[in-house]
Amino acid sequence: MTSPGRRRLAATAPAAVAGMFAAGCSGVQSALEPAGREAAHIDELFIGVTAFCTLVFVAVFAAAGVALFGGRGLRARLANDRVVIGGGIVFPMVALSVLLGLAVYVMSFGGSAGRGTGLRLHVDEAMASEAARESGLAIAVSGERWWWRVTYVLPDGRRFESANELRLPVGEPVPVLLTSPDVIHSFWVPKLAGKLDMIPGRVNTQTITATEPGVSRGQCAEYCGGAHALMAFYVVAMPPDEFSAWLAREAGPAAATGAAEERGQALFMRYGCTGCHAVRGTGARGTIGPDLTHVGSRYSLGAGILPNDAAAFARWIRDNQHLKPENLMPPFEIFTDAELGELAAYLEHLE
Amino acid sequence: MRGKQFERSRWTRLLRHAAVILAVMLAAGTLFVWSGVYNVAASDDHWALTNWLIERVRVRSVATWSAFVDAPPPLEDPDLVGLGAAHFEGACTPCHSRPGDPRNAIVAAMLPPPPPLSRSVPELDTSEIFWIVKHGLKFTAMPAWPSRQRDDEVWAVTAFLLRLPDMSQQGYLEASGVTRAGGTPKSDAELAQSNESLSLTECVRCHGDASRPPLADLIPVLNGQPRAYLERALDEYAARQRESGIMQPVSSLLRPYERRRIAGWYAGLEAPPKAREESRAMRAPAGNDRTADRSEAIERGRTLAHEGDREQGLPPCLACHAGRHPENFPTLAGQSAAYLESQLRVFRGDARNASGYGEIMTVVARRLTPRQIGDVARFFASLPPGDAPAPAEHAR
Repeated sequence: MTSPGRRRLAATAPAAVAGMFAAGCSGVQSALEPAGREAAHIDELFIGVTAFCTLVFVAVFAAAGVALFGGRGLRARLANDRVVIGGGIVFPMVALSVLLGLAVYVMSFGGSAGRGTGLRLHVDEAMASEAARESGLAIAVSGERWWWRVTYVLPDGRRFESANELRLPVGEPVPVLLTSPDVIHSFWVPKLAGKLDMIPGRVNTQTITATEPGVSRGQCAEYCGGAHALMAFYVVAMPPDEFSAWLAREAGPAAATGAAEERGQALFMRYGCTGCHAVRGTGARGTIGPDLTHVGSRYSLGAGILPNDAAAFARWIRDNQHLKPENLMPPFEIFTDAELGELAAYLEHLE
Repeated sequence: MRGKQFERSRWTRLLRHAAVILAVMLAAGTLFVWSGVYNVAASDDHWALTNWLIERVRVRSVATWSAFVDAPPPLEDPDLVGLGAAHFEGACTPCHSRPGDPRNAIVAAMLPPPPPLSRSVPELDTSEIFWIVKHGLKFTAMPAWPSRQRDDEVWAVTAFLLRLPDMSQQGYLEASGVTRAGGTPKSDAELAQSNESLSLTECVRCHGDASRPPLADLIPVLNGQPRAYLERALDEYAARQRESGIMQPVSSLLRPYERRRIAGWYAGLEAPPKAREESRAMRAPAGNDRTADRSEAIERGRTLAHEGDREQGLPPCLACHAGRHPENFPTLAGQSAAYLESQLRVFRGDARNASGYGEIMTVVARRLTPRQIGDVARFFASLPPGDAPAPAEHAR
């Protein structure tokens, strides 16, 4: 009946489909390529459950096949009371109970029950300091519209801000305290851990343990407004000694300004940028928008939507309302191309 | 059977007659238009019947359409009346004449001639006056307000017109600033050369100079503003980027070099004398604040101007409007609270966001609550004129 062509198609199709799916399994945002302890547990659970479900699926279809086409003897055995009660009642109950237990067990990794903080806009300071003392470092992340305010809290009480990027030491569990000032977001780095909601007036804590150095991408996983899809970030896991060196640099003030960046800095200081943005070590102390002290060293601009280069800085300053509609920054169409270049040079040099 | 036939033929006949009558009327109409017999001359008044019909249509139309006019602001506000008077002198007197003056001979030859307002205003409701000033009147020379976004300005003229019937000639000349503008040219030769009677572009009449404050608190002080800002403002008015039925006509009459020179002159001018300053700074826009409330408002405004409000996404005003702010940004210190408040409200609409600078301020103004608008306006009005000092954290 079957032609050779059809046979060949039948043989290659599953491989092609499998290849397509496999291509979607790799990359900086794949839960199937875990680089963190919590994500690894989730991955194990996923593999286990999928395998188990596949077995049950095959068994059910085999039984159905026997019931329809099997010989008299086989069918009689299938109709046996013990098979019906065992396979129809006892097995599902046991299997579902085990699955439930497994789910509860896995949920205990990483995420922890939220804690109300009253109607407070940002992560409770005492709470973050306590977490930092216990773990050596805590990171508070606040979901803004539509970017991530990241505050590193050290055991000695020091704290400093960054945005749209997290850096983690490999092998050390780091508590990440999640909240939001206004709408619900969800913090999700598939390669490192499961997702956890960021809820106004409440702090949810997620512990992340990176197991290998590298870059992972995270994404807001709860619809939070028009620019929800443009709210991403990067997480960089570094070997502990490199991380300490980075942390010391990051905690410090902005790089000194050379002659090339002076004009850009003057524009930044005079044209109101300081009203919303801080650059530590200068007079700029705004807290409405992202801290720009070391913005030049980040992986991306605009919360994961632009590469970090001079052209992107210039585009963002002038066209940010087109790049991310309704974000809170006004468009600055008042600058000439030359002035935009000077501003971009200044910001890019803030490494 | 017979009756029915009779019926049908009667209807057919009727229809045929109607068609013939219609065709004759069409042909007659066409002939009438084509022949040019109808006289469109303004020298030839309408028939009494036509006049009566036109007037009925106008009265009914104004009454119906003005029913949709929003509630007015407090029209007794002397600053609103002052602004209206100042604009009336520049833009309306060419046709409507100053109170007490004879009608210009050219204007008197218009059809219809513009009515003497002191007589026609009392016949109209407040909302009808507003509607006519805003929309103008078809088939007359009454133009619509040049900007659709500035009802606040239309209300100012309305507030003035309500006062007009009771105003003496001298009272009008003072209210509209005529008495302090220009003066007589110095010599006979100058008089013979400069026969310019247009008072629309006399900046000083409304905005004052080093010795006189603006005519009303809703008119901004220009003295000491950055030159680049003043020039930009005039250019934006002329290009109709910044909405204003009052300033667009003024600006479009000025040549670019005149705008530059006027901007430079005002930029170098000292603040007007202190005499009215206290009252300007302290007077509330609506004029009914208690002193304690006022100083509380000023304090709230000071906090907002220095620190902004993070929860509302409000940057501190002084991040742009202080210290070493660029030449393209206006100085706010010493401006009247009434003017600042009115402009912040204008910013919240779509009237000032056509320029890159306006776009930025529009974003900020829309985040302010009405109370905060009053607070920051009072704070800046309470400062001495000149550059507000930059707050410490923004200085470098």
